[in-house]
Amino acid sequence: MAERSVISVVLLAAALWAAGAAEAVMLTDPTGLYSTQIGDRWVYQAHHSTPELMVFYGEGDFELLYFQRLGPVSYPSALDFARRAVELYAGPGGLEQFELVGEYTEVKVAGEGGVACAYSYEDAQGGRVWEFRIFLVLPSGEGFSIAYSDNKPEAASAPPLEDVLMHWRWLF
Amino acid sequence: MSPKQAYRFVPVFVLLCVLGAVVPAASAQGIAARFERTLGAGTAPKLIKEYGGEYVLPIQERLWVEEVFARLAAQSQRPEVEYTLTVLNSREANAFSLPGGFVFITRGLLNLIGSDEAQLAAVLAHEIAHVEKKHGVNAVLRQLGLSVLAEVGAAALDFLSGDLLRLAGVTLVQMLQAGWGREAEFEADAVGQELAAQAGFDPAGSISLLETLAEVDGAEQPMHLFRTHPEPVQRQKRLEERLALFWSDPTLVAQEEVLERLKEGRNSHQDRRTDPKGRYVLEEAEKPWAGVRLFDLQTGEYVTWAQEALVREAAWSPQGTYLAVLVDAGSQGELWVLNRWGHVLRRIAGFRGEIASFSWSPQGTVLALDLVDPAGQRVAAVYINPAAVVDVSRGLDASGSQWLDDALYFLQGDSWYKTEPPQVVPVQIAEPVPLVLQRKRVLTPTLIREGSTFRLTRPELTPP
Repeated sequence: MAERSVISVVLLAAALWAAGAAEAVMLTDPTGLYSTQIGDRWVYQAHHSTPELMVFYGEGDFELLYFQRLGPVSYPSALDFARRAVELYAGPGGLEQFELVGEYTEVKVAGEGGVACAYSYEDAQGGRVWEFRIFLVLPSGEGFSIAYSDNKPEAASAPPLEDVLMHWRWLF
Repeated sequence: MSPKQAYRFVPVFVLLCVLGAVVPAASAQGIAARFERTLGAGTAPKLIKEYGGEYVLPIQERLWVEEVFARLAAQSQRPEVEYTLTVLNSREANAFSLPGGFVFITRGLLNLIGSDEAQLAAVLAHEIAHVEKKHGVNAVLRQLGLSVLAEVGAAALDFLSGDLLRLAGVTLVQMLQAGWGREAEFEADAVGQELAAQAGFDPAGSISLLETLAEVDGAEQPMHLFRTHPEPVQRQKRLEERLALFWSDPTLVAQEEVLERLKEGRNSHQDRRTDPKGRYVLEEAEKPWAGVRLFDLQTGEYVTWAQEALVREAAWSPQGTYLAVLVDAGSQGELWVLNRWGHVLRRIAGFRGEIASFSWSPQGTVLALDLVDPAGQRVAAVYINPAAVVDVSRGLDASGSQWLDDALYFLQGDSWYKTEPPQVVPVQIAEPVPLVLQRKRVLTPTLIREGSTFRLTRPELTPP
């Protein structure tokens, strides 16, 4: 019985430790546009971030998560925004060996309609990078983007953005 | 052109004079534009090849450069000209334009300019101005002895033979290398500065550009831009003199609310002694004193900057980027501008009159100076970057200057007057695209053998 209790206590402690380890912090955009929850596997990169661009490094050597405010845009829709970006990424001066992976898909981010797409390209070191990106044109006419990239194809097919998107709130 | 070549064109010339006289002016304008375009289009490929071909800028930079260019081209007074911009793959810092609206800039010059919108606008506006004023085409026609054609009727130009067009193209390249002439360059400076201001760019950018180019020229970088241009000092002086034109004429202030604020001295930046970034506090001292004495709140110690100067007054800029110091030097005084580390960036002297007081603009880029001389009082605006002095009171007996919001106010007698600096509108790209970031890789330190010892390599951040 005593042995069982000890095991239970150990299990409970382990569970609590695990819960603690998976703790997330609430991120509130310094410009006051959005908030979300960021798991502790992400490390904020102050050196690369600005008020309009929040950058996080993941646990993997190439894992990158970033949100960007683009200011007022004249795109009539998120799809136009996405298409124009892909056109430039694929064109001269864009990304090396660019390939669109799959199709444009409609997504909702805290009630706001956007368009997601995935693509891959060759980075400066010659390695392949896959990136998943959501394009949004907010009701105020402002462009916004959420991007996740890694050196694994799963970054395009199954980006680990559930937590971030589930807790996303617009502050307007 | 040899006499033999010239004789070949005599019959064409006579015919063209007759045609020129009978073609309506509007139509002639269109035909002349077509001629310019043909001439420029025929010459452009040769120059592109000579400068290493076209260079494709990275997306974000390209969108920015194109937007600056589009804003300037929209100010053109020649709707018949279609402006195009080509970036050339050359390290040489250069820019030029061809008749017909072909504007070129090298990646070397773009690197020098960096992200300075006003300087980029200045160089592109200068090149557009050459086209607006037809410097290239007129110089070629003059060289070929055909300037009379332009005067008789530009319509005639449309009928020029292929031979003459080819000859004009060769002449154009030769003349481009020699420059369009001293007066044409001065005119392009003036028209370009105006064009940039109309498009919402800072007209002081043209002076900054000359300063940037002068620094590089001294550093023996590939630099051909000055070779064909008049002395930079003369150009800078003329541009500085013109800067006053972009400030609005002083107008009498009648609004009660504004007058109330001015009387109370409720201007945008009142505390001149405390560092807006919170590190330093300027110390009071018996005037004048040697150097600027500040208390450093971070170290808890006093520091003295510009020790060689006899200081009368000092003031932090509203953003805490600069410290302006009024220095006793002869009867008129000098204005020194220091950075946050006490380094003297500028020493501005030669004011006509003694400096009675000074104040920073809300943006911290311009200082208003109250000057007194035997002839009277006036207010001058002193630009920090580039260094330029502008008389903004335009002959009024002005004193007591104050910045309120973005305008400068001053007193003449008991009346307040207002003048506004040129409006600068930052570039906003209509169709921006998000950045694509690449993660910087951290190299792990490794042990490497060096003879009988081992050395640990330093981990470094490598750019993507």
